[in-house]
Amino acid sequence: MTGWFAVASANIAAAATPGALQLPNFDAIASKAAQTVDISLDTSLLGIAAGFMDSSKPDDAAVKEIIAGLKGVYVRSYTFNGDFQYPETDIDSVRKQLSAPGWQRLVAVHNSPDHSNVDIYICMVQGRASGLAIIASHPREFTIVNIVGSVDLQKLHQLQGKFGIPQMQLPDDKAAGNK
Amino acid sequence: MSNELNDRLRAALRPVDPGESFTQGVLARIASEPARVPAAAHRAMRMLELRWLSGALLAVVATGFLVAHQWRAQHAQQGQEARRQVIEALRVTSQKLDLAYRIVKDKEHSGA
Repeated sequence: MTGWFAVASANIAAAATPGALQLPNFDAIASKAAQTVDISLDTSLLGIAAGFMDSSKPDDAAVKEIIAGLKGVYVRSYTFNGDFQYPETDIDSVRKQLSAPGWQRLVAVHNSPDHSNVDIYICMVQGRASGLAIIASHPREFTIVNIVGSVDLQKLHQLQGKFGIPQMQLPDDKAAGNK
Repeated sequence: MSNELNDRLRAALRPVDPGESFTQGVLARIASEPARVPAAAHRAMRMLELRWLSGALLAVVATGFLVAHQWRAQHAQQGQEARRQVIEALRVTSQKLDLAYRIVKDKEHSGA
Protein backbone atom coordinates (compact mmCIF):
# COMPACT_ATOMS: atom_id res chain seq x y z
CA MET A 1 0.00 0.00 0.00
CA THR A 2 2.79 2.39 0.96
CA GLY A 3 4.76 1.42 -2.16
CA TRP A 4 1.75 2.00 -4.38
CA PHE A 5 1.18 5.39 -2.75
CA ALA A 6 4.84 6.35 -3.23
CA VAL A 7 4.77 5.37 -6.92
CA ALA A 8 1.49 7.25 -7.45
CA SER A 9 2.89 10.34 -5.70
CA ALA A 10 6.07 10.19 -7.79
CA ASN A 11 4.05 9.95 -11.00
CA ILE A 12 1.83 12.89 -10.01
CA ALA A 13 4.92 14.93 -9.10
CA ALA A 14 6.63 13.99 -12.38
CA ALA A 15 3.57 14.87 -14.42
CA ALA A 16 3.22 18.21 -12.63
CA THR A 17 6.82 19.24 -13.39
CA PRO A 18 7.11 21.15 -16.68
CA GLY A 19 9.04 19.13 -19.22
CA ALA A 20 8.37 15.82 -17.47
CA LEU A 21 6.51 13.03 -19.22
CA GLN A 22 4.59 10.21 -17.61
CA LEU A 23 6.26 7.19 -19.15
CA PRO A 24 4.10 4.07 -19.39
CA ASN A 25 5.09 0.77 -17.85
CA PHE A 26 7.16 -1.05 -20.44
CA ASP A 27 7.65 -4.26 -18.43
CA ALA A 28 5.80 -6.40 -21.00
CA ILE A 29 7.98 -5.01 -23.80
CA ALA A 30 11.13 -5.36 -21.74
CA SER A 31 10.48 -9.08 -21.31
CA LYS A 32 10.51 -9.51 -25.12
CA ALA A 33 13.52 -7.26 -25.74
CA ALA A 34 17.01 -8.56 -26.44
CA GLN A 35 18.55 -5.43 -24.95
CA THR A 36 17.05 -2.99 -22.49
CA VAL A 37 18.11 0.39 -21.18
CA ASP A 38 15.94 1.61 -18.33
CA ILE A 39 17.25 4.72 -16.64
CA SER A 40 15.36 6.87 -14.15
CA LEU A 41 17.38 9.56 -12.45
CA ASP A 42 15.57 12.12 -10.32
CA THR A 43 17.09 15.27 -8.79
CA SER A 44 18.54 13.44 -5.79
CA LEU A 45 20.18 10.71 -7.88
CA LEU A 46 21.56 13.33 -10.29
CA GLY A 47 23.00 15.11 -7.25
CA ILE A 48 24.62 11.89 -6.05
CA ALA A 49 26.00 11.23 -9.55
CA ALA A 50 27.40 14.77 -9.69
CA GLY A 51 29.16 14.08 -6.39
CA PHE A 52 30.99 11.21 -8.05
CA MET A 53 32.21 13.32 -10.97
CA ASP A 54 35.77 14.51 -10.61
CA SER A 55 35.76 18.24 -11.40
CA SER A 56 39.51 18.18 -12.03
CA LYS A 57 38.94 15.92 -15.05
CA PRO A 58 37.62 17.85 -18.08
CA ASP A 59 35.22 15.06 -19.18
CA ASP A 60 33.68 14.68 -15.75
CA ALA A 61 33.50 18.45 -15.33
CA ALA A 62 31.58 18.74 -18.62
CA VAL A 63 29.02 16.10 -17.56
CA LYS A 64 28.72 17.74 -14.16
CA GLU A 65 27.97 21.06 -15.83
CA ILE A 66 25.27 19.49 -18.01
CA ILE A 67 23.47 17.73 -15.17
CA ALA A 68 23.71 20.73 -12.85
CA GLY A 69 20.59 22.28 -14.37
CA LEU A 70 18.62 19.05 -14.72
CA LYS A 71 15.73 17.81 -12.59
CA GLY A 72 15.43 14.37 -14.10
CA VAL A 73 16.72 12.06 -16.81
CA TYR A 74 14.57 9.17 -18.02
CA VAL A 75 15.54 6.76 -20.78
CA ARG A 76 13.70 3.71 -22.03
CA SER A 77 15.35 1.90 -24.91
CA TYR A 78 14.51 -1.58 -26.17
CA THR A 79 16.20 -3.58 -28.91
CA PHE A 80 14.50 -6.67 -30.37
CA ASN A 81 15.64 -9.63 -32.41
CA GLY A 82 12.64 -9.38 -34.73
CA ASP A 83 10.85 -6.55 -36.51
CA PHE A 84 8.00 -4.55 -34.90
CA GLN A 85 7.72 -6.55 -31.69
CA TYR A 86 6.53 -3.54 -29.73
CA PRO A 87 3.02 -2.06 -29.70
CA GLU A 88 2.75 1.40 -31.26
CA THR A 89 0.06 2.28 -28.69
CA ASP A 90 2.67 2.68 -25.97
CA ILE A 91 4.60 5.17 -28.07
CA ASP A 92 1.37 6.95 -29.02
CA SER A 93 0.50 7.48 -25.35
CA VAL A 94 3.77 9.38 -24.97
CA ARG A 95 3.18 11.30 -28.21
CA LYS A 96 -0.20 12.47 -26.90
CA GLN A 97 1.50 14.05 -23.89
CA LEU A 98 3.75 15.96 -26.26
CA SER A 99 0.75 17.71 -27.80
CA ALA A 100 0.22 19.54 -24.48
CA PRO A 101 0.92 23.30 -24.35
CA GLY A 102 4.57 24.13 -23.94
CA TRP A 103 5.89 21.26 -26.02
CA GLN A 104 7.20 22.09 -29.49
CA ARG A 105 8.41 19.67 -32.10
CA LEU A 106 11.91 20.65 -33.17
CA VAL A 107 12.62 17.83 -35.59
CA ALA A 108 10.54 15.07 -37.14
CA VAL A 109 12.56 12.86 -39.45
CA HIS A 110 11.30 9.74 -41.14
CA ASN A 111 13.59 7.62 -43.19
CA SER A 112 11.59 5.38 -45.52
CA PRO A 113 14.23 2.84 -46.56
CA ASP A 114 15.01 1.58 -43.08
CA HIS A 115 11.79 2.79 -41.37
CA SER A 116 13.73 4.96 -38.91
CA ASN A 117 11.79 7.75 -37.23
CA VAL A 118 13.15 10.34 -34.86
CA ASP A 119 11.04 13.06 -33.29
CA ILE A 120 12.64 15.67 -31.07
CA TYR A 121 10.50 17.86 -28.86
CA ILE A 122 11.40 20.68 -26.54
CA CYS A 123 9.31 22.10 -23.72
CA MET A 124 9.48 25.85 -23.46
CA VAL A 125 8.35 27.63 -20.29
CA GLN A 126 8.62 31.42 -20.26
CA GLY A 127 11.06 31.36 -23.13
CA ARG A 128 13.36 28.82 -21.51
CA ALA A 129 13.86 25.17 -22.39
CA SER A 130 12.63 23.13 -19.45
CA GLY A 131 12.49 19.71 -21.03
CA LEU A 132 13.57 17.60 -23.95
CA ALA A 133 11.90 14.52 -25.38
CA ILE A 134 13.20 12.20 -28.06
CA ILE A 135 11.16 9.40 -29.57
CA ALA A 136 13.18 7.24 -31.90
CA SER A 137 11.78 4.14 -33.49
CA HIS A 138 13.15 1.54 -35.82
CA PRO A 139 11.65 -1.86 -36.73
CA ARG A 140 13.89 -3.54 -34.15
CA GLU A 141 14.30 -0.75 -31.65
CA PHE A 142 12.50 2.03 -29.92
CA THR A 143 13.81 4.66 -27.57
CA ILE A 144 12.21 7.34 -25.47
CA VAL A 145 14.36 9.96 -23.79
CA ASN A 146 12.98 12.59 -21.45
CA ILE A 147 15.33 15.12 -19.94
CA VAL A 148 13.69 17.45 -17.43
CA GLY A 149 15.24 20.80 -16.60
CA SER A 150 17.25 23.35 -18.50
CA VAL A 151 18.73 21.39 -21.38
CA ASP A 152 21.67 22.79 -23.25
CA LEU A 153 22.15 20.87 -26.49
CA GLN A 154 25.35 22.78 -27.16
CA LYS A 155 26.86 21.46 -23.93
CA LEU A 156 25.66 17.98 -24.80
CA HIS A 157 27.32 18.40 -28.16
CA GLN A 158 30.60 19.17 -26.38
CA LEU A 159 30.52 15.67 -24.86
CA GLN A 160 30.85 13.97 -28.22
CA GLY A 161 33.66 11.46 -28.38
CA LYS A 162 33.79 11.16 -24.58
CA PHE A 163 32.51 8.22 -22.50
CA GLY A 164 31.47 6.40 -25.69
CA ILE A 165 29.19 9.27 -26.77
CA PRO A 166 29.14 9.28 -30.56
CA GLN A 167 30.85 11.96 -32.60
CA MET A 168 28.07 14.12 -34.04
CA GLN A 169 28.71 15.70 -37.40
CA LEU A 170 26.76 18.89 -36.83
CA PRO A 171 27.07 21.80 -39.28
CA ASP A 172 29.21 23.74 -36.78
CA ASP A 173 31.81 20.95 -36.81
CA LYS A 174 31.91 20.96 -40.58
CA ALA A 175 32.39 24.70 -40.62
CA ALA A 176 35.07 24.45 -37.95
CA GLY A 177 36.78 21.67 -39.91
CA ASN A 178 36.88 23.82 -43.04
CA LYS A 179 38.54 26.72 -41.27
CA MET B 1 41.33 -22.38 101.26
CA SER B 2 41.90 -23.88 97.91
CA ASN B 3 38.53 -25.62 98.03
CA GLU B 4 36.83 -22.36 98.89
CA LEU B 5 38.46 -20.55 96.02
CA ASN B 6 37.57 -23.39 93.76
CA ASP B 7 33.93 -23.27 94.82
CA ARG B 8 33.75 -19.49 94.34
CA LEU B 9 35.22 -19.72 90.91
CA ARG B 10 32.82 -22.48 89.91
CA ALA B 11 29.94 -20.38 91.18
CA ALA B 12 31.11 -17.31 89.25
CA LEU B 13 31.68 -19.23 86.06
CA ARG B 14 28.57 -21.34 86.15
CA PRO B 15 26.56 -21.40 82.92
CA VAL B 16 23.75 -18.87 83.06
CA ASP B 17 20.90 -18.68 80.56
CA PRO B 18 21.03 -15.13 78.95
CA GLY B 19 17.30 -15.16 78.35
CA GLU B 20 15.07 -15.15 75.26
CA SER B 21 15.39 -11.38 74.66
CA PHE B 22 19.18 -11.65 74.24
CA THR B 23 18.84 -14.42 71.64
CA GLN B 24 16.21 -12.47 69.72
CA GLY B 25 18.36 -9.32 69.85
CA VAL B 26 21.36 -11.15 68.39
CA LEU B 27 19.26 -12.76 65.68
CA ALA B 28 17.65 -9.42 64.76
CA ARG B 29 21.05 -7.73 64.51
CA ILE B 30 22.39 -10.49 62.24
CA ALA B 31 19.37 -10.14 60.01
CA SER B 32 19.62 -6.33 59.76
CA GLU B 33 23.34 -6.19 58.89
CA PRO B 34 24.22 -6.59 55.21
CA ALA B 35 26.12 -9.66 54.33
CA ARG B 36 29.76 -8.80 54.25
CA VAL B 37 31.58 -9.83 51.10
CA PRO B 38 35.22 -10.56 51.52
CA ALA B 39 37.48 -7.89 49.98
CA ALA B 40 39.04 -10.29 47.45
CA ALA B 41 35.61 -11.38 46.19
CA HIS B 42 34.55 -7.72 45.97
CA ARG B 43 37.59 -6.88 43.82
CA ALA B 44 36.91 -9.84 41.57
CA MET B 45 33.33 -8.66 41.08
CA ARG B 46 34.49 -5.11 40.20
CA MET B 47 36.95 -6.51 37.69
CA LEU B 48 34.22 -8.61 36.14
CA GLU B 49 31.97 -5.53 35.87
CA LEU B 50 34.74 -3.48 34.28
CA ARG B 51 35.49 -6.25 31.79
CA TRP B 52 31.85 -6.51 30.86
CA LEU B 53 31.56 -2.73 30.44
CA SER B 54 34.69 -2.46 28.30
CA GLY B 55 33.50 -5.42 26.21
CA ALA B 56 30.13 -3.78 25.67
CA LEU B 57 31.80 -0.46 24.79
CA LEU B 58 34.09 -2.20 22.32
CA ALA B 59 31.12 -3.96 20.74
CA VAL B 60 29.25 -0.64 20.38
CA VAL B 61 32.27 1.08 18.80
CA ALA B 62 32.89 -1.88 16.45
CA THR B 63 29.22 -1.94 15.41
CA GLY B 64 29.37 1.82 14.79
CA PHE B 65 32.42 1.44 12.57
CA LEU B 66 30.83 -1.46 10.69
CA VAL B 67 27.59 0.45 10.08
CA ALA B 68 29.51 3.56 8.96
CA HIS B 69 31.69 1.46 6.66
CA GLN B 70 28.67 -0.29 5.14
CA TRP B 71 26.84 3.02 4.66
CA ARG B 72 29.90 4.52 2.95
CA ALA B 73 30.30 1.46 0.70
CA GLN B 74 26.59 1.50 -0.19
CA HIS B 75 26.68 5.26 -0.88
CA ALA B 76 29.76 4.85 -3.09
CA GLN B 77 28.11 1.99 -4.99
CA GLN B 78 24.93 4.04 -5.48
CA GLY B 79 26.97 7.04 -6.62
CA GLN B 80 29.00 5.02 -9.12
CA GLU B 81 25.80 3.44 -10.47
CA ALA B 82 24.13 6.87 -10.79
CA ARG B 83 27.25 8.19 -12.57
CA ARG B 84 27.20 5.22 -14.98
CA GLN B 85 23.49 5.79 -15.68
CA VAL B 86 24.01 9.51 -16.37
CA ILE B 87 26.73 8.72 -18.91
CA GLU B 88 24.61 5.97 -20.48
CA ALA B 89 21.60 8.33 -20.73
CA LEU B 90 23.73 11.04 -22.37
CA ARG B 91 25.18 8.44 -24.75
CA VAL B 92 21.70 7.27 -25.84
CA THR B 93 20.49 10.89 -26.17
CA SER B 94 23.49 11.87 -28.23
CA GLN B 95 23.13 8.78 -30.40
CA LYS B 96 19.51 9.63 -31.24
CA LEU B 97 20.31 13.30 -31.94
CA ASP B 98 23.04 12.09 -34.25
CA LEU B 99 20.63 9.70 -35.98
CA ALA B 100 18.16 12.57 -36.58
CA TYR B 101 20.93 14.72 -37.99
CA ARG B 102 22.16 11.94 -40.29
CA ILE B 103 18.66 11.33 -41.68
CA VAL B 104 18.21 15.07 -42.34
CA LYS B 105 21.63 15.21 -43.97
CA ASP B 106 20.90 12.16 -46.16
CA LYS B 107 17.63 13.73 -47.29
CA GLU B 108 19.43 16.97 -48.14
CA HIS B 109 21.96 15.03 -50.22
CA SER B 110 19.32 12.97 -52.00
CA GLY B 111 17.26 16.12 -52.69
CA ALA B 112 20.23 18.07 -54.01
